[in-house]
Amino acid sequence: MIQMHPAKGEKAAYFNEREHQICVMARLIEDGKTYWVAGGGTPMASILLAKKLYAPNAVYVTEDGVLAPEPALPLDPIMTMVSSRASYRALQWGTMNSVGFHAQVGLMDYGILNTLQVDPYGNINSTLLGSYEAGEYRRFGGPGGADSIASLCWRTILMTDHQKRKFVPRVDFISSPGFLDGSPGARERAGLPRDTGPYLVLTPWALFDYEDRYLRLIGISPFVTVEQVLAEMSFRPKVAPQLLTLETPTEEELTILRTEIDPRGQVTIIGDIGRWIQRREDGTYAPAEEGRGGGNPNLPRSW
Amino acid sequence: MRQLEILAEGQGEYHPVDPDGFRQWVRDHKKRALVPKLMTEKEAIEKFVQDGDYLVYECNYLQRGPAALIREIIRQRKKNLWLGAKFTWVAAALLVEAGCVSKMDVGFFLFGPVVEKAAKEGRIKIYEYSNVVMTNRIKAGAMGIPFIPVRSFGGTDGFKYSGAKIIRDPYTGQPTVIVPALNPDVAIIHVHQADVYGNARIFGTGISDAEAALASRKVIISAEEIVDTEEIRRNPGLTVIPYYCVDAVVHLPFGAYPGEMAGRYASDVEHVVEVVGRTMRGGLQEYLEKWVYGVESHHEMLDKLVGWRKLQQLLQRATIKEGYLP
Repeated sequence: MIQMHPAKGEKAAYFNEREHQICVMARLIEDGKTYWVAGGGTPMASILLAKKLYAPNAVYVTEDGVLAPEPALPLDPIMTMVSSRASYRALQWGTMNSVGFHAQVGLMDYGILNTLQVDPYGNINSTLLGSYEAGEYRRFGGPGGADSIASLCWRTILMTDHQKRKFVPRVDFISSPGFLDGSPGARERAGLPRDTGPYLVLTPWALFDYEDRYLRLIGISPFVTVEQVLAEMSFRPKVAPQLLTLETPTEEELTILRTEIDPRGQVTIIGDIGRWIQRREDGTYAPAEEGRGGGNPNLPRSW
Repeated sequence: MRQLEILAEGQGEYHPVDPDGFRQWVRDHKKRALVPKLMTEKEAIEKFVQDGDYLVYECNYLQRGPAALIREIIRQRKKNLWLGAKFTWVAAALLVEAGCVSKMDVGFFLFGPVVEKAAKEGRIKIYEYSNVVMTNRIKAGAMGIPFIPVRSFGGTDGFKYSGAKIIRDPYTGQPTVIVPALNPDVAIIHVHQADVYGNARIFGTGISDAEAALASRKVIISAEEIVDTEEIRRNPGLTVIPYYCVDAVVHLPFGAYPGEMAGRYASDVEHVVEVVGRTMRGGLQEYLEKWVYGVESHHEMLDKLVGWRKLQQLLQRATIKEGYLP
């Protein structure tokens, strides 16, 4: 069973789906473990929130070799790596090669990633949508550090949006490996280290793990139904007999997230933040009629 | 005797692997004597970047990278470069827009209409890797070996379009991915301090600066500050790049502009947002007209387009100094 830190204190009455996802991820962070996180965006916000509230001894590294920083927030746009604020008060400053080798010898317990597409076996696409062979595609940036995170960390956690176009039976391009074709030993046959692989997928709506290397729904958010969750996927995952409820953000979580971790709204206001959710008088949660938000079209999602 | 068996291999073209050829180049071209190598960015790029070269830049246009040297390569309209596009936000797109590139090995870069159009029209070829696999390849190049085993990249589609192979490792008997060593023709690296011979100090994190300097046939260093060699000798442990790797040293204060130079100056946020936006949505030609072709040199750009007041602001915004002072 997945261990989660309990969400203590008063629940927030108004929040967006991105904030909810970050708060749930923060409660999944295990204290005393190492995390290789994608620079910027929701993975970094999640681990920072976890360190403030739930897992003070969780350690993270970034792709430029920063080990266990105490970053001076907020960061300027894009300056999530090789920057003085992001790497402030670290225990070591290394390089991309050094962090890669730390992961390769087995020092990284978890990796947290974003992606464009994921399939039932946890294979990840961040390269293109369409057909590479046919030359008909919309191209994206490539794996960056994600391939190494997904290959070399003991367990890989994916944070993505809950959309039909993201959960697909086959990704258009495997940028970073999951369980590949899902057969036992497929990763090892491809040269990857033993006992590694996908562990969780978290969307604003749902939490998944893997059973026999196949995606399995294990938790849902209180503002969606199982039917909605399944309807927004292009394949049917396994479904656990009992589903966890992904608790909505507490006031304390949101305050820290909004004032200390992301005061400029770089992750939680600007860009694609999902819907705004409000608590109704009967205590249930539902999408708000009018949402705040908007965005800066000049910036990519993870900055 | 156990046979070394190749189980699978990618179909991508890769920069030719030739460790002995590289050694020979090093023997014949790298100066062992302490010879001053100071020159202007114009001279350095003219002399050491040739059309068709494989180019690596360390870090990138926005993060302690050789932004001024990248602009000079564009200004001199170099052609048919093969880019090692690892950990790249906008640099690859700028070089492609300028018509400097014919091939790219990709780890990560910020994609937009410019590169997409060039790729679809066949003007550039793209080969797939990851950031770490690219830095591991450079590491192998810096070790003087022909390839390096890596424990990642196997099973990906990128593998198919790369120069990687899976072998049965003769020691463990396990399937193991190997990737070709990379010895770039030219590396451009921006550092905090260097002496006139090329002994260079970098404060803070990096990607593969030291490895690229050792792996590359021609190495151009740009430095925020030129220090006396006595200062280098006072604390030799801080030397990240030794002089005998280096072919040119260019004194370029604010050489990472518009990016951040950790410990010295902050990024120019408005400029960063503009060039990132133009990379994603188009309009890079106007950017190049203004910031590259519109001026003769880095210093002219700082004088005419950035200005003293802005530079002072960037200096003042870099409040964190711990770890960045020798």
